[in-house]
Amino acid sequence: MSFLQPLLLFGLPLAILPILIHLINQHRHRTVKWAAMMFLLDAKKMTRGIARLRQILILALRVLAVIALLFAASRPLAGGWLGMAGGKADTIVLLLDRSASMEQRNLETGESKRNAAVEKLTEMLQTTGQSPNLVLIDSATLKPLAISDLESLPELPQTQPTATAGNIPDLLMAGIEYLLTDESGRTDIWLASDLQESDWDPGSGQWQTIRSELAARDTVRLFLLTYPETGGANLSVTVDQVRRIRTPEGLRLVMDLYLRNDGAQSVDAEETVPVEITINGTRTQKEMTFSGPEVNMLGYTLPLGPGDTSGWGRISLPADDNPSDNEAFFVFDDPAVRKTIVYSDDNTVADAIRAAAASPNEPSFSYDAQVIPTAEVAQIPWEETALLFWHAPIPEADSPDATLLKQHVESGRSLILLPPPVDGGGEFYGFSWGEWIEDDEEQFAVNWWRTETDLLADTRGGAPLPVSDLAFFRVRQFDGEEQSLLRLENGSVIISRLVSETPGPVYVWSTLPRADHSTLATEGIVFFVMIHRALNTGVGSVAKARFAETGTGLLPEQGNYKVLATAADEEGIFEPGLMPAAIALRPDTEKQRLLAINRPITENESGPIDEEAVAGLLEGVEYREIRDELGSGDSLLSEVWRAFLVAMALALLAEAILCLPPVPEPESDPLRRTV
Amino acid sequence: MAEPIQRDFLDSAVLGKLMGLPLNSRQPMLGSVSGRHRSPIKGSALEFAQYRKYVPGDDTRRLDWRTWGRTDRYYIKEFEADTNLRLCFIIDTSGSMAYEHEGKTRLDYARSMAGTLAYLASQQGDAVGLYSGMSGDQNSAHQEIPAKRGPLHLRVLLDQIGRIEAHGETQLIGAIHEAAEKISQRALIVIVSDLLFDLAPLQEAFQHLRFRKHDVTLFHLLDREEIDFDFDRPTRFVDLEGGPSLLADPSLIQKKYREAVSQYLETVDRIVNQSAIDYHRTFLDEPYDEVLARFLTGRNPKTARSAR
Repeated sequence: MSFLQPLLLFGLPLAILPILIHLINQHRHRTVKWAAMMFLLDAKKMTRGIARLRQILILALRVLAVIALLFAASRPLAGGWLGMAGGKADTIVLLLDRSASMEQRNLETGESKRNAAVEKLTEMLQTTGQSPNLVLIDSATLKPLAISDLESLPELPQTQPTATAGNIPDLLMAGIEYLLTDESGRTDIWLASDLQESDWDPGSGQWQTIRSELAARDTVRLFLLTYPETGGANLSVTVDQVRRIRTPEGLRLVMDLYLRNDGAQSVDAEETVPVEITINGTRTQKEMTFSGPEVNMLGYTLPLGPGDTSGWGRISLPADDNPSDNEAFFVFDDPAVRKTIVYSDDNTVADAIRAAAASPNEPSFSYDAQVIPTAEVAQIPWEETALLFWHAPIPEADSPDATLLKQHVESGRSLILLPPPVDGGGEFYGFSWGEWIEDDEEQFAVNWWRTETDLLADTRGGAPLPVSDLAFFRVRQFDGEEQSLLRLENGSVIISRLVSETPGPVYVWSTLPRADHSTLATEGIVFFVMIHRALNTGVGSVAKARFAETGTGLLPEQGNYKVLATAADEEGIFEPGLMPAAIALRPDTEKQRLLAINRPITENESGPIDEEAVAGLLEGVEYREIRDELGSGDSLLSEVWRAFLVAMALALLAEAILCLPPVPEPESDPLRRTV
Repeated sequence: MAEPIQRDFLDSAVLGKLMGLPLNSRQPMLGSVSGRHRSPIKGSALEFAQYRKYVPGDDTRRLDWRTWGRTDRYYIKEFEADTNLRLCFIIDTSGSMAYEHEGKTRLDYARSMAGTLAYLASQQGDAVGLYSGMSGDQNSAHQEIPAKRGPLHLRVLLDQIGRIEAHGETQLIGAIHEAAEKISQRALIVIVSDLLFDLAPLQEAFQHLRFRKHDVTLFHLLDREEIDFDFDRPTRFVDLEGGPSLLADPSLIQKKYREAVSQYLETVDRIVNQSAIDYHRTFLDEPYDEVLARFLTGRNPKTARSAR
């Protein structure tokens, strides 16, 4: 508890005044010569217990009344966690979850969770009147921002809504890093979040570090301001797999459309939702019927006008509890050529790959595959390459080749590393090649492959790929952190994906599509599917129309781009890349690319984690969780002197009751019995 | 030279006022001389008692000739004998009798009562004696004054009443038993005490007196403060009988104190009822002449009804 007039608390010793007065009173007795000692002794014997207790109670209540009066005069603040045991903080670090789910709002007041959190924290800091260093770190930028003017806090761009996914472990780590770099002294960390499971990511390895870092600091206190309630009615919209196709009737836009009802309300009843579809600024409205928690419209088709060869679109739902998931943007343009580069000197391998990669998987797209010998790395058209097969030693770190490779995967394109015939080479994201192993007499049989996701996932119809038909004879071992996709009975991993944070995937094939290495090329189905799936992943970033999630930092900060449409309201501050938007990069040039930015799908897929889960994640860390509700109106901090005055009044009242003389009992009044 | 004896416990105005009220006994007395009290022995008083058949040996002077004339039988006419009364005081002289009320001790009050009664009794020709409850101390030679008549004896008695002091623990029970043993003939015994001691042996002492056919009167002297216990702040109570003093907050113990007093008074009532004692609960704020007037009036068969 903290106080606005803490100096008055030095008067607390006055609380013993009633005891002192009592003792003085005891010593100021008069002396009487008394005859009827027998009654006195009897009475004293009989009243030893209860009367003594009563007297102690009366004294305690008087002491309590004085204490309450002093506390009331010191103007205590309820919820004054800032000043809680250990004194006031020198630094306050506000960690703000700005994820899309924090935009859930109370329909009556229009106040969102993020808004409420910011306002309550501001109010609390204003009430205490303290002026510690105040630092804000938000989940979208993760950059510490020193706040000098408290009143501006709710207006800052860093506290505005975003449609990003929040990564709470990252946010906490950013806070801890700030503590490490700045000598912040006694620090209070306030984390405002809605406890959404996908944001908190309980499986993250960072929690271990967070726990140990926070537990090791005595001067740091952690407060969680949480809003775990889920909204009443919330529809969300997501689009995926948007492609422009040409049909005999004209251009069509095909997409997978997902409408989801996340609200707690019953979803049994059929509900018709007016959905507004905007294409290049032209709005149309459609009624869509909801009959369950989710409506998935795969291959939803929209006609395009004759001139609409490229452009942007938006699907909007009517306003509800959470406005941040009511809009989905998409862009479309001429389909990009799905270009595969095989960087290899091995013609057998290169031909097999080229043949598979150049064969069209979907007739409406054009495919291209090109072989470039390893001496001519400069020939690789990096900008257009969606999938690169690197059949050469890993370039040494910091070499130009390594930089180019990193840029390739960091811009979202796919890379497949093939085992080079020669030894040596550098490391790539911790990966390096090892020894070849082979068995002349026997082939290696397949033991397991990952069927739920990635290159070897089952088909959309649920049928498994014929992976077990494959045979392998020569395999190269490797070191590195990877996620296995195909394993042999001898434990060798044939297909795997490197664990890297890059947008583009890095796959490792530890065998070659050659007859003396494997039957990949001859049993061509798996081979073909794997190449095209990798190609599909990589093509997103070479296409003229691309899709990205908010918060991935795809937009250059002072970049040359134009916002075609955005979900940010007109008064809001548009932060590039943090709100759903349709954007033209390098507009009106040959190299114009369209980019649709949407909120990450994880943002509306999970509910809040419960109290035990939070306690588990922060085990060993001393923290205090303040569960708030939208529209609760409760302040984090309020003056509570009234409560102390009431306590004082109650104490005095109780004291008065205890002090009341006993009711005289007429029949036992000895005076009435005189003769 | 003997120190002069103060007689300030006697008030001539009170004496004059009470002189007209006779002191009566509730039962026949056996006096040594003729007096104004009934005797169990038939005598020659004016009041007719009974007729009895003549038997040889009776004094022929007492034959009722008128009855013989009417009935031709011999009857003896008997009259009540009037005798004098022995009035013995037993005064409690324990330390608690030194309790003061408005500048006057309980013993002073007892002195006034006993002195006045002694004077009145002496004036109507009765014998008076004194047994104070101070047996065993330095004044023991003066503690016991057998009942005698005459103004000289009255003076000795009043001197002794003026001389007694209150101190030490109570010896009243012993004094009662002693008096019961020593007073051989029926007497009116007036006990003046605060009864502030263990009441258990009291009943036996009273029974002893009753067994000796004494007429017993008890003046129970109490102060209202001792019963109400109305003190407003912590007080140190010093025991008048020499026990340890006690510091107490009256507000804390008042209730229980009153309960104890109430129980005590009930016990006193029970004892005096069972022992047929003429009991007078007397408060020190009452004028003693009023108490005595009430006492005397209550004993007069003619006025008793109206007095009560």
